[in-house]
Amino acid sequence: MAKQLRMLAPDDFREKLSRRAFLKGGTAAAGFAIVLAACGSSDDEAVTIETTGSDMADDGYSRVVNTASGTLAMYTWGDYNDPDLVGALADSTLGVSMKVDYYASNEDLITKLAASNGNSGFDIVVPTGPYVPQMIEKGLIQKLDLSLIPNFSNLDPAYTSQAWDPNNEYSVCKNWGSTGYFYDKTKITRTMETWQDFIDACMNEGSGNCAMIDTAPNFCGMWFWANGINWNTQDEADLDACEKFLVEEFAQHIKAFDSYPSTKLAEGAYSLAMGWNGDLRQAYVRIADAGGNPEDWVWVLGSPATELWMDTYCIAAGSPNAEAAHAWINWDLVPEISIKDLEYHGYNTGMKDMESLIANLAPDLERGEMIFFTPEQVATFQTQEITPALDRMVDILNKAKAKAGA
Amino acid sequence: MTATVAATTRRRWRAPKYALALPSIIWYTVFFAAPIAFIVFYSFGTKDTSKLLPVDLTNLSTASYKEVFDETFFTTFRATLRISITATLLCLVIGLPVAYFAAFKVSEKWKAIVLAAVVVPSFTSFLIRTVAWRIPLAPNGTLSKFLKDLSLIGENGIQILETSLAVQIAIVYNYLGFMILPLFVALDRIDSRMREASKDLGAGRVATFFGVTLPLAGPGIIAGVLLTFIPMCGDYVTATVLGGAKGNMIGAMIASQFSGAQNWPLGSAMAVLMIAAVLLTLVVGTVIVWVIPRIVGLGEPLVQRWRRAMRARQVQRGPRAGFVVGDSVLHRLLGVWTSLVLVFLFIPIGLVFLHSFNRGGSFTIWSNAVSIKWWGELFDGAQVLNTAIRFAVFIGAGFLAKWMLSRRQMLGSRTSSWLITSVVVLAFVINGLVTSWYAKIFDYAGIGDAIRNSFMAAFGATVIAVLIGGMSGVALARRPGRWATVFMGLVFLILVTPEIMDAIALATWFPRIQDLPIVGHIFTNGWGPFNGGINKLWVGQSMYASAVVTLIVRARLAGLDESLEQAAADLGAPPGRAFRQITLPLIASAMIAGGLLSFALCLDNAVISTLISEAGSTTFPVALLGATRSTIKPFWGVGAVSLFVVTMTSLWFLVVILRRSGDSASNIAATLTGS
Repeated sequence: MAKQLRMLAPDDFREKLSRRAFLKGGTAAAGFAIVLAACGSSDDEAVTIETTGSDMADDGYSRVVNTASGTLAMYTWGDYNDPDLVGALADSTLGVSMKVDYYASNEDLITKLAASNGNSGFDIVVPTGPYVPQMIEKGLIQKLDLSLIPNFSNLDPAYTSQAWDPNNEYSVCKNWGSTGYFYDKTKITRTMETWQDFIDACMNEGSGNCAMIDTAPNFCGMWFWANGINWNTQDEADLDACEKFLVEEFAQHIKAFDSYPSTKLAEGAYSLAMGWNGDLRQAYVRIADAGGNPEDWVWVLGSPATELWMDTYCIAAGSPNAEAAHAWINWDLVPEISIKDLEYHGYNTGMKDMESLIANLAPDLERGEMIFFTPEQVATFQTQEITPALDRMVDILNKAKAKAGA
Repeated sequence: MTATVAATTRRRWRAPKYALALPSIIWYTVFFAAPIAFIVFYSFGTKDTSKLLPVDLTNLSTASYKEVFDETFFTTFRATLRISITATLLCLVIGLPVAYFAAFKVSEKWKAIVLAAVVVPSFTSFLIRTVAWRIPLAPNGTLSKFLKDLSLIGENGIQILETSLAVQIAIVYNYLGFMILPLFVALDRIDSRMREASKDLGAGRVATFFGVTLPLAGPGIIAGVLLTFIPMCGDYVTATVLGGAKGNMIGAMIASQFSGAQNWPLGSAMAVLMIAAVLLTLVVGTVIVWVIPRIVGLGEPLVQRWRRAMRARQVQRGPRAGFVVGDSVLHRLLGVWTSLVLVFLFIPIGLVFLHSFNRGGSFTIWSNAVSIKWWGELFDGAQVLNTAIRFAVFIGAGFLAKWMLSRRQMLGSRTSSWLITSVVVLAFVINGLVTSWYAKIFDYAGIGDAIRNSFMAAFGATVIAVLIGGMSGVALARRPGRWATVFMGLVFLILVTPEIMDAIALATWFPRIQDLPIVGHIFTNGWGPFNGGINKLWVGQSMYASAVVTLIVRARLAGLDESLEQAAADLGAPPGRAFRQITLPLIASAMIAGGLLSFALCLDNAVISTLISEAGSTTFPVALLGATRSTIKPFWGVGAVSLFVVTMTSLWFLVVILRRSGDSASNIAATLTGS
């Protein structure tokens, strides 16, 4: 039984891929090649697997798969990859057995890596872009060898060469997303559009039933966005006002600090929650699972402004298996793999020409509007900058947590 | 003869009295006293996130303490103490009738069954049991729907999750067993003649209970209160999983200072004040316990006069039938109560088992469909089948061999009784070699590795705990002196230090010692098949466990006359031989019991392990705690059930061996509880 299941996933997947590729191209029997290069071994032998019935070799995407061996330890955000990919598929395709541990915030990640000073045993870590420079500075991550990541060319140039790492020497985009909120319209009957609406609802009909993201920049950012202040402000007066409101007036209404509210929304624990688009997209599935009515729930992208965050693959300093780490990053950039991951976690993986990829590989993708944003929406997004104000925001969250429990 | 022996011993160099405790003393100094001293030091530092270790020690101040006494943080302190004290009292009130029932009202056989039923739930993962409380308490859950249909509750369902009430319920649940066991042992040891004498002298049932039974059970009550109250104060898991923002406890808040907030000085100050608060509460508790009987004693003459008056009136009126509770009614009431408590203890276990067969994508949300999907996800069916067949073949062959050999009378009864045991061990080893120590039976490597790491860490920590704890236990019982007072103080401090304090102390200690020549190398690069992370876990988990073993071994030896060892010495046995042939057999059962207890504690350790574990050493509770941050997949339930089955099997196996070696089941249970 288990054996079958294990084999089913990749077969099913391969079949789906070739069928869709066939439908798209029409021209038969061109065959697309996945190149298996035994990377790191002295003789650079390359294995080529022919898959007939597909013409995707000419579509401009690179599909190199480097194999590796041993175990690969990834330290990442909760539920952040398709379990098939980090499980059976990584085993059978890359030849590595993956171990995945989870952290809840970038600060958690940095503390864990700093505490072991380059001996944490993790290979891959997934910090949010703006945190990359301080991790470089503290010596927590090592340089990438982009020649081992040929599929890097599959990324949309809009998501490479970011301010925090202009030459992608240390980081490669894993996926990006934004922040908004989710509410039960049978309990919160007013129409909600902005962060201000969210704050009002939390303090009135949703009081004691709302959940906040458990990271300092997001928690404070919500108030800045609602009040038309750039969340990267370092102005003491802004930060004081933020602290005064969030700690003194707002904290008492909060039910939980929870960065992944989807399951608890389905349990019925909250009637409104702030969250990241991908997790809230999964909430619809879990609510249906629990026998609730997904149509009762509304997703709102934060406005007038909200964030654009990008999580990046980095290799931890002292990584025991850097070869496998490169192989994994490269493999996750193969378009078919990337879209499979996207269908699971619900975040944009930043592939070039995304629209046609989705049309070909995942035509029945549900709730795409929670993954892909319109240019007008993207225009309101702000990217976090790491400033000395971050310490202050961490303090504000800390105090708000204490206050919320009072 | 005696004189010459005495002369030779006098001439020889005598080791200091604390020689046997030396390993413990070094261990505790390096991995307990020093790290904790640093925490105290950090608490006077200032936060500096630009450094790798984010604390500036050049500029000392008491600002962090001021901040803790600030209203916002202090409320969490008060809430933690309130929850812990309430929960301890509730455990006592709920547990006492159960222990009383098991000790006095049932047959030997039922005693063992009740005890086993109390112990068994604590061998399922602490964390998954806590998570399982989310199932019945969910506002959209089955229970909520049922209560809503009966119109017993409002439209919003049960509103308990993410409040301190949820934490209160789960914390009572999680620690109830630790209260019942010591109570039972204490009650069970009371000489029944005392109670009979009390009744013969005319005391009623209530008077006997309060005047004789309860005071005699005092040590058990104290042990139970210590075993529950202290871990509760530092509890971090229950509040994290169930408490939300409202049910926050100090343990979770301290941990977050060291992870998210990177505010070591504030976290350290909170931890120092927490220990102070725990000690203060214990002192106040002791004073109350000491004062109340004396205050009551002051009123004794009045009470006596009142009683005499009552009795005189009763004699005039004749007995009041309505107020006399018959023995059988009391018996039945206690029985019902015990059953209810046992049901309470088993509710989460049952839910974990049920939800491991959930078809949906989340452990806590029941999809209304039973399926073995997640068992298939976790296990490689063919490998499991192969392994099971190999076990069956081996055991079958063992039984066959036993039958044939016994027919031909080629085998002594002693050898034959060990045959099956050896066959099981052999099958275990051979299967282990074939499946690379059972890693291959898991399809999803994450949980398989976590379970294996848990066993590896718990086993190593237990070996350390039994060795150093056993040695210092012997030293304490046989070579007491002034050092023993100091050492017992240290052991007591280890026992009363909430786990979260050890956790942060060690987590901040390892980066400091990693550049030391040999010690640092062990914790960064590991040795042999064990990586640095596993070594760190051994240190962290062995701390509390070795203190427990020390106490158990000491208690065991203190109860035994030293004359046996003296006789051996008189007969010319050198100290080493006397130890090996006399002392060791005497303490063997205590060491095994201590080992079992520490193994169970270590296997379930989440707090220390989470803060010090690394990629290659993630244990089951650590991995599960990580998973609770987002959605818990049902295969965690599958993993927990498997872990439970493996633990129970190995325990059963050990109990069988212990019984073969002649220790009775009730002795095993008694030593297990540390008395």
